[in-house]
Amino acid sequence: MLIPHPLLGLRDSQEFTYLGDASLMQRPDPSAQNAEAAFCDYVFLRDNPAGVMRELWFHEQGDRSWLVVTRDTTTHEILGAELASDVKGAAK
Amino acid sequence: MTDLMTDLTPITALGATVARAESFGALTITENAGLGLASLALRKGQSAPQPFGLPLPAVGKAVSMGDYAAFWTGRDQWMIEAADKAEVDFAALLKAEAPDCSVTEQTDGFTAFEISSTQGPAPIEALMRKLVNIDPKAFGAGQATRTGLEHMTVFLIRRSDDHLAVIGMRTLAGSLWHALAVAARRLED
Amino acid sequence: MTRLTGGLIDRNAPLNFTFNGKTYKGFQGDTLASALLANGVQLMGRSFKYHRPRGVFAAGSEEPNAMVELRTGARQEPNTRATVTELFDGLVARSQNHVGPLERDFLAVNDLLSPFFAAGFYYKTFMWPKAFWEKLYEPMIRKAAGLGSLSMLPDPDDYDKGFLHCDLLVVGGGAAGLAAALTAGRAGAEVVLADEDFALGGRLTMESDLLDEAAATDWIASVKAELESLPNVRIMTRTTVFGVYDHGIYGAVERVSDHLAVPGDKVRQTLWRITAKRAVLAAGATERHMPFADNDRPGVMLAGAMRAYANRWAASPVKRDSDAIAIFTNGDDGHRTAMDLIAKGAKVLGVIDARDAAPRFGDYDVYAGATVTGTKGRLGLTSIEITRNGQSQWHNVGALGVAGGWNPNVHLASHHRGRPVWDDTLLAFVPGPNGPAGLIPAGAAAGKGGTEEALTDGMRAAITALSEIGVTASEIVLPKAENMPAEQVAFWHVPGSKRAWVDFQNDVTVKDIALAHKENMTPVEHLKRWTTLGMATDQGKTSNISALAVMAELTGKTIPETGTTIFRPPYTGVSLSVLGGGDTGPLFRPRRLTPTHTWAEAQGAAFVEVGPWMRAQYFPRAGETTWRETVDREVLAVRSNVGLCDVTTLGKVDVQGADSGEFLNRMYSNMMGTLKVGMVRYGLMLREDGHAYDDGTCARMSEDHYVVTTTTANAGLVYRQMEFAHQCLWPELDVQLISTTDAWAQIAVAGPKSRALLTRIVDDFDLSNEAFPFMACSELTICNGLRARLFRISFSGELAYEIAVPARYGHALMQRLMEQGADLGVTPYGTEALAVLRIEKGHAAGAELNGQTTAQMLGLGKMVSAKKDSIGALMSRREGMAADTRRLVGFKSVEPQKQAMAGSHLFAEGAVQNMSTDEGWLTSSCYSPHLNGYIALGFLENGDARLGETIVAANPLEGQSVKVEVVSAHFVDPEGGRLRD
Repeated sequence: MLIPHPLLGLRDSQEFTYLGDASLMQRPDPSAQNAEAAFCDYVFLRDNPAGVMRELWFHEQGDRSWLVVTRDTTTHEILGAELASDVKGAAK
Repeated sequence: MTDLMTDLTPITALGATVARAESFGALTITENAGLGLASLALRKGQSAPQPFGLPLPAVGKAVSMGDYAAFWTGRDQWMIEAADKAEVDFAALLKAEAPDCSVTEQTDGFTAFEISSTQGPAPIEALMRKLVNIDPKAFGAGQATRTGLEHMTVFLIRRSDDHLAVIGMRTLAGSLWHALAVAARRLED
Repeated sequence: MTRLTGGLIDRNAPLNFTFNGKTYKGFQGDTLASALLANGVQLMGRSFKYHRPRGVFAAGSEEPNAMVELRTGARQEPNTRATVTELFDGLVARSQNHVGPLERDFLAVNDLLSPFFAAGFYYKTFMWPKAFWEKLYEPMIRKAAGLGSLSMLPDPDDYDKGFLHCDLLVVGGGAAGLAAALTAGRAGAEVVLADEDFALGGRLTMESDLLDEAAATDWIASVKAELESLPNVRIMTRTTVFGVYDHGIYGAVERVSDHLAVPGDKVRQTLWRITAKRAVLAAGATERHMPFADNDRPGVMLAGAMRAYANRWAASPVKRDSDAIAIFTNGDDGHRTAMDLIAKGAKVLGVIDARDAAPRFGDYDVYAGATVTGTKGRLGLTSIEITRNGQSQWHNVGALGVAGGWNPNVHLASHHRGRPVWDDTLLAFVPGPNGPAGLIPAGAAAGKGGTEEALTDGMRAAITALSEIGVTASEIVLPKAENMPAEQVAFWHVPGSKRAWVDFQNDVTVKDIALAHKENMTPVEHLKRWTTLGMATDQGKTSNISALAVMAELTGKTIPETGTTIFRPPYTGVSLSVLGGGDTGPLFRPRRLTPTHTWAEAQGAAFVEVGPWMRAQYFPRAGETTWRETVDREVLAVRSNVGLCDVTTLGKVDVQGADSGEFLNRMYSNMMGTLKVGMVRYGLMLREDGHAYDDGTCARMSEDHYVVTTTTANAGLVYRQMEFAHQCLWPELDVQLISTTDAWAQIAVAGPKSRALLTRIVDDFDLSNEAFPFMACSELTICNGLRARLFRISFSGELAYEIAVPARYGHALMQRLMEQGADLGVTPYGTEALAVLRIEKGHAAGAELNGQTTAQMLGLGKMVSAKKDSIGALMSRREGMAADTRRLVGFKSVEPQKQAMAGSHLFAEGAVQNMSTDEGWLTSSCYSPHLNGYIALGFLENGDARLGETIVAANPLEGQSVKVEVVSAHFVDPEGGRLRD
């Protein structure tokens, strides 16, 4: 696959390490009331959709940026890629 | 300044007292043992300095001015190169130029192999095609990138059309030299 | 000899080769198959299941029959298709899959037993008795199965890989492919033109068609010359594009020197990963046959192949020139073969055309409305039975060409589950609309097989492909060509009671398909698995569609209703050698060498692979006879004097920034933000699920600068995890991370005399306990000005330091320490002694931090700070985790010289040993020279409350049961006085 790196353009997926569901970026608040249940969901439960999914890829053999890649898991069509730090920064 | 006057004798990344150089047809690979390296990263909210007068390059680019050069390694991060500065505390020199930035000594973190061609860009590009999944036609002079090479991670800097630098981890110097030399030798046929 | 005139062979370059030990002559330009045919050799092998005599069937990579063992010695290669094996001088080939000589195969008895070997035979027969499978059936089948044999020697040749990037990849160098490449090349696009053949031209080299009223070879040569002159075009012959991968990535194998006797300085093959913005699939078409009774005899072949042998290779399919050739066809194409053979002077019996209204294009007999219903000839065709209107007659022929129509080579277009669609006019599947993105079929591969239409279609495909990526290409002037008559009818096989082969390589007949139908294995997926149809090395290139047609007839459905065959990579077989590239033996993966590697080598050290690293394992001295003797000496030297160990392999991450303390607070379970500048703290990292992950140290070099160490094994993973935390969780923190593992050579200087030794090399630096206490760190200079970092940390439990210098000085520093410490008894030690020392001290390492253990189990529960959040902290306090009562303790063998192996499980003395009585396990064990006996570490239920108890460490795999005493994990200096001394 080719990953459209937001800074570097198309890069071969062999340069990347795959992590999976981008929901891993939403680490629960450990001081919240239901923190343990929220952490159990966060750590153990992942969506595995047949279709469009937002997922984390690490450009380990590149600029070491974590990307949020939106990909259709049934066709491998890639609909977009953003720097994770931008995604997280915008959410704050 | 912090010039070392130690009585210890250093060895090169390839384990010898002198840098290795070998020619394969039009290509010559030279171990650049004198290259000083230090990484520079911006702290939050900082704007890019101009260490040694170098305008820090944009994404995927490299610049050079006299004995100094820099290439982009990541967002707000660069590697600064200094010719023949391996034996001084180059990180300290760089820190003096950019005191507010994060600077890390990298001279001995890497080994630099300079590959030059006596027959223009074609042999350099042929070598790239055997080693890295980077389109040489889109990687002209002044481009720099990081990618995989034989299961290793390397920086590539196209210093000019007929000169490519491959900078890899120092502890992998032997394997990297072997990979480059085998590919270059096969191009001789 | 049955060599014809003309052809694209170089008669000035004769080549000698042997087949089954007999020497023959061929020419440059021949394939092994064409050379054998030209020498009158029809019989080339035996079939897989029935061991039937077989001859060549096709003229390209689709060949099912003519499979040979090529070369000798280590280069012996089984299952090589004679049709694509370029002849070279000295080539040695043998037929395969027979016991005894090819002409009298003893396993031909299988053919007589064929009634028992019908479809599903294996599934039905070898079920009972159950116990027979492993002992009898499987070994027996394995012995009889397979085709050729392997040399069992290592492959002596080199293989390579490479990467190409282009605007347009053209797959196939025939009429359509050449037109596409020329169109794109002239437009200035970066073009890769790949063809599996060694010559460009595809079918144009095998037909008699004229281009611009001259031989097609003239046009091919002119195009080739122009393409070669264009710097933006790369022509790759002998290159098979075998697979289509996501986003325009194609896999290709270039057979660099398969056509040479030995590769010499060259690599044998190269695996190319081609990234193409667009591709044109101009892979041509494959002819199909029409099964009829006994259609598998040598001499029966595809009519198009027969034409190819005659035109390109000047080889006649018969054993003797006097033998007649017949053609069996369902359309006009068979007549072309007859015409070309006649033009070459071959003796043609006539054309048997299934159509009642069969045309006649020349001076030959036409058997209209007729079929072939039988054949004779034990080792090669001698006669055929022609039946017309129920009347049958035998005719003597030496060869029969079968023309059943052409199937577009849709393979690559179906690699992304793109389903081909049925074309009722062409009577074939053509690439469908849902093929791989960016791949445009053209020419015969798209069902446009006429020469004129293929040329035009190739040009059109290139223009379309390039326009999609913003490159404007103009039409080119194509040579004048015509489309030959190609009328045909849907005639698929000749019904009859005798066996009619569909899949030659796997010996599947029409009867087998009928049986599969009877047994309700009608979906094509079931049909394939029940009968093994299309599952041989040729992947059913000549048989799949015929089988579908037979099944359609049996089910009364149309062919597209019956099913579609799609294909997976690879298009043709790819050797494992080329997929592995050069990654074999010591080159299997890159090796990381420590800065003292050459020094250690010179000391005669034994090395051990630790991940990618080569580490010194121990340093044997003259007179030492076992590794244990060496390791014991090294351990005792550390405990009594001073030892040196290269610990550069530990991961080092430089952490800077205003928030680095806060960042490390969140990464480590314990407090790092409060660490004083100039001090080091041991750190424990958890996974987010609460289990222990990695341990290491954080040294605070300045307010906003830490140097973090990780274990060797987790160096890359921890660095990745830190980047994840920084970029994906807390990008608001001001932190900069960079690895410095390789930059610093780090040497552990351990033992009671370590301070004395270091004092001799530091430049004016106070090493006293007051000035530089346990867990201190500092930058300093040594050996007259070399900058260094010193950390007072201990893995062995002794007074110890780790000293780091720029990596290039590691070698010299080690030498200097050895010289300076000679009178102190300085001793280098390796990873074995390192492990013994840490087990004696009760330090956890990889075996204890195995991903299943917690801080509490490790006795480090208090390190998980409750005052702050950190990765894994909350989850480590979950009820189930907190309730875990297993604890890390030490164990001493009751009989000191008896080792309890790591991995042993722990049981109460006298207890029945099973899962329910299991009380824990041993993680590490070694001989302790300090205690003169075997010791171990392990996790035991309530271990910390059971010191002094004797239990049993059981290792049922070795039938071992060792009594051990539960002791503190700290075998040495439990109070820690030594390291603070």
